[in-house]
Amino acid sequence: MKYLNRRDFLINGGAAAALAATPGMAYSQVIGNAAPFDDYRALVCVFLHGGNDSFNMLVPRSNAEYAVYENARQNLAIPQDQLLAINPLTSDGALYGLHPSMGGIQSLFESGHAAFVANVGPLVEPTTRDQYRNKAVIVPSQLFSHNDQQAQWHSLKGASTSKTGWAGRMADLIRSNVADQQMTTNASLNGTSLFQSGDQTVAYVMGANGPLQFEGFSTDPNSPLFEQRQAFGRIVDAQYDSIYERGFAEIQRRAIDSADAVSAAITSAQNSGQITTVFPTGGLGNQLQTVARLIASRDQLRMTRQIFFVGTGGFDTHDDQNNAQPALLQDVSDAITAFHAATVELGIAGGVTTFTQSDFGRTLTSNGDGTDHAWGGNQIVVGGAVSGQDIYGTYPLLQIGGPDDTDNGGRMIPSTSADQFAATLAKWFGIPDLDLDIVAPNLQNFAQRDLGFLV
Amino acid sequence: MSNPRLISIIASLLLGLGGCGGGSNGSPPGPPPPPPPPAITKAEAFQFLNQASFGATETEAQRVIEMGFEAWIDNQMAQPASLNLPYLQSLPIVQPMGQMNADRVDIWFRNALHGSDQLRQRVAFALSEIFVVSQLGALNGRVYSTTSYYDLLVENAFGNYRDLIEKVTLHPAMGVYLSMLSNEKPDPVNNIRPDENYARELMQLFSIGLIELNQDGTPKLGAQNQQIPTYDQEIIQGFAHVYTGWTYAFSNRFRNPQRNLLSDVVPMVLWPEYHDTGPKTLLNGVTIPAGQTGDQDLAAALDNIFNHENVGPFIAIRLIHRLVTSNPSPGYVSRVAGVFNDNGRGVRGDLAAVVTAILLDDEARPDMPIEIDGKIKEPLLRLTQLWRAYDATSQSGRYPLSFVYVIFGQGPLQAPHVFNFFSPFFAPPGEIRNNSFVAPELEIATEYLNTFVTNFMFYQAFAANSLSTELREDDVFINFEDDMLVAADVDQLIDTVAGKLLAGEISDALRNEIAAMLTLIPATDPALRVAETIYLITTSPEYAYQR
Repeated sequence: MKYLNRRDFLINGGAAAALAATPGMAYSQVIGNAAPFDDYRALVCVFLHGGNDSFNMLVPRSNAEYAVYENARQNLAIPQDQLLAINPLTSDGALYGLHPSMGGIQSLFESGHAAFVANVGPLVEPTTRDQYRNKAVIVPSQLFSHNDQQAQWHSLKGASTSKTGWAGRMADLIRSNVADQQMTTNASLNGTSLFQSGDQTVAYVMGANGPLQFEGFSTDPNSPLFEQRQAFGRIVDAQYDSIYERGFAEIQRRAIDSADAVSAAITSAQNSGQITTVFPTGGLGNQLQTVARLIASRDQLRMTRQIFFVGTGGFDTHDDQNNAQPALLQDVSDAITAFHAATVELGIAGGVTTFTQSDFGRTLTSNGDGTDHAWGGNQIVVGGAVSGQDIYGTYPLLQIGGPDDTDNGGRMIPSTSADQFAATLAKWFGIPDLDLDIVAPNLQNFAQRDLGFLV
Repeated sequence: MSNPRLISIIASLLLGLGGCGGGSNGSPPGPPPPPPPPAITKAEAFQFLNQASFGATETEAQRVIEMGFEAWIDNQMAQPASLNLPYLQSLPIVQPMGQMNADRVDIWFRNALHGSDQLRQRVAFALSEIFVVSQLGALNGRVYSTTSYYDLLVENAFGNYRDLIEKVTLHPAMGVYLSMLSNEKPDPVNNIRPDENYARELMQLFSIGLIELNQDGTPKLGAQNQQIPTYDQEIIQGFAHVYTGWTYAFSNRFRNPQRNLLSDVVPMVLWPEYHDTGPKTLLNGVTIPAGQTGDQDLAAALDNIFNHENVGPFIAIRLIHRLVTSNPSPGYVSRVAGVFNDNGRGVRGDLAAVVTAILLDDEARPDMPIEIDGKIKEPLLRLTQLWRAYDATSQSGRYPLSFVYVIFGQGPLQAPHVFNFFSPFFAPPGEIRNNSFVAPELEIATEYLNTFVTNFMFYQAFAANSLSTELREDDVFINFEDDMLVAADVDQLIDTVAGKLLAGEISDALRNEIAAMLTLIPATDPALRVAETIYLITTSPEYAYQR
């Protein structure tokens, strides 16, 4: 008889268990008959929590347009001569520049690997200032509220009561095509998100550096700690009377199943030395570095389609915006730039598309030293498949009380819908055109189903 | 699904109908004979104490059994408040002061674990998850300010809600956190208008929420069966103009105000020349006239919010969520909201009466539990319950776990943002969401954080106990030496540990798995046997569940 002793727990328990992927771990909950994908594609959502003031990220720099911008933004305006010039292939007549802390994105844009989508936001149907003010159109409920507008970006629910996210719905749609995957299609490195919540599929949540392994568990049947893992698992798998215990147990079961295989994949990618790119220190850099390692291990985990959720906060700049914004945007620029470089190193840049989302844009007007919640904003798209060096959608007139303002606070009414933005990404990801309306339920209300920023 | 209460709840969720009380709570007609008060069981006492304290213990359960629920509550409400700031102020100041968050968390744990005012401490913690400010962000270095803010919640936990929101509004920690501090009247020339942050969140998160509610918490519906927003942007702007003109006490200037350790803990003061004096649109069609002072405007605005019909059901649901269950029936919400509206003596907003109503309601201790009764324990409460049950302490006597939120996903005033650690509306995919139930705490029960907690329990049971010879002076350890005396007998050991952590109500599945594991550990190693038992219980779904 084998005995457990204190040493087993304290020494073996802490050691990383080496483990080949265990059969039967895939989460796909429906046995499908659809063909597996023959290529690899990943979407990486970088969520900027709090509402990025993106009209200071992508800024008009030609004199006439800059004057309108400067008049609206007053003490929050970026000086014209500090803007980093970009040169879009398609001109709307104005010149544009980037926030001075975004040199990385500037380079990616100019080399054709990054694009912007201008003034995009949640809409139910096309909306003009008059229509908004006369309540002549349906608009998403609870505009300007953080969690409600985050939920809009995550779910695209518009005026509906949908409870799933658009990445969750994508994973549902392809679940039978990816039945062999050893990890869920959706993985978050930034907590639970509605974005990745499906009806048939769930997201696996890990930390910025990957999953934690369980202390005191062994997957080696010869180890005395093998039985510890088995017993823990049987407790989790027992029948429970309350919805709460069942919900909790389900998460524990996923944690047990995935921790070893995913950790091993990350560790092997780390040890392989395939990625030499240096990522910026900090939360977003760490998260994207881990994503790069998981992408490097895609074959080991038999992944063909992945959606990663990463995020960073601090964008709710009600206060002290001029001091806070440079570091926030620099972190986004540096981390995304490093991540793209890593995908180039891995030879998979064409299969990885990174994009930003945020609660909302912010008021062009100031509250003294900061800004408040608004609506439309500009988003970044980066990757080898991006038709870069262009601005998609229509950049608004940044005029207080102007044709794009809801009122006179400088809250820009989106000219492109988040549904169009999502559908363009989803189509590239492999969702058939007919199913795009499931991913983006309000897409049918807009003429352009594909914004064209991905080839 | 034949239970009438469950059907009533589901009907209200699916149809948006106001329930008229839970079916099982109605009395048959005719004069019922008054039954003798039933003896409180240990399991009931544990259930009650996990709702009303930082974790049931056998000692406190015995007190509840002897005193009865009501007398225990009355006794608790009479206990003096255990505060935090006096301790912080007794310490030498460390620079940068952010380091003193460890001291703030230390005194918080001491009060949570050992305070004789358990109910007050638990309710204060619940309030800190509604009226959120956080150490994470601009307040990191302002430890006196966050500590003083927490004390405000402790002191007002059984006070009046109207006083509470005024004190919250004017506290400089909130002023900083939601940027009302130094918010000034409009400057149209420079496109500057009042900051809307506090105006929005006081209504959305602290008082009325986004949609009109019936007293039972179900949404009011308009003519097209649509939900009705409580406010619009014009009203937000109205309140934003109200909250102009306030900044730190003792500052020589309004803009970029100076602060000191005292201005961090006393209410903000009004600078009339920075207060907007125009008329302002408030809720329910109320407009306050031009020319009022900042104090008059503030009083009118807070009265306007306080008297909105949503506050009763809104606060009832939030506090029931924190203390008792994630899915109260409409009848339960309505009964508690009714007490908020009138405590029986004509007073609105009496939080002591509200807390009492929540804890004494039949639905807090149902005779026939259904699958949606109770809730997931907050992860921090899984820890404090263990620590209280096993007399956790450290060699220094301190609990300076300033990093507790990293492991448990929550800690005192350590929310990631004003939306707290989790959303009251969170519903994980699967049966909970499909049936329109919620389970807020499961939002942070991710694979990642759950494993962190599981590993912490592993460390606590096997390494951080009183037998360890490798503890550092601030390592918090548990003491299970009493349990080792019965460790030779597997069943008796399981009964003993389960008695302390689960009121003895351990499932057969868990008991059998523990028993099997214990046979792998020689009886000559009683410490390892006890540690194994504690580990498997504290990481089990049934311990994570608050009945």
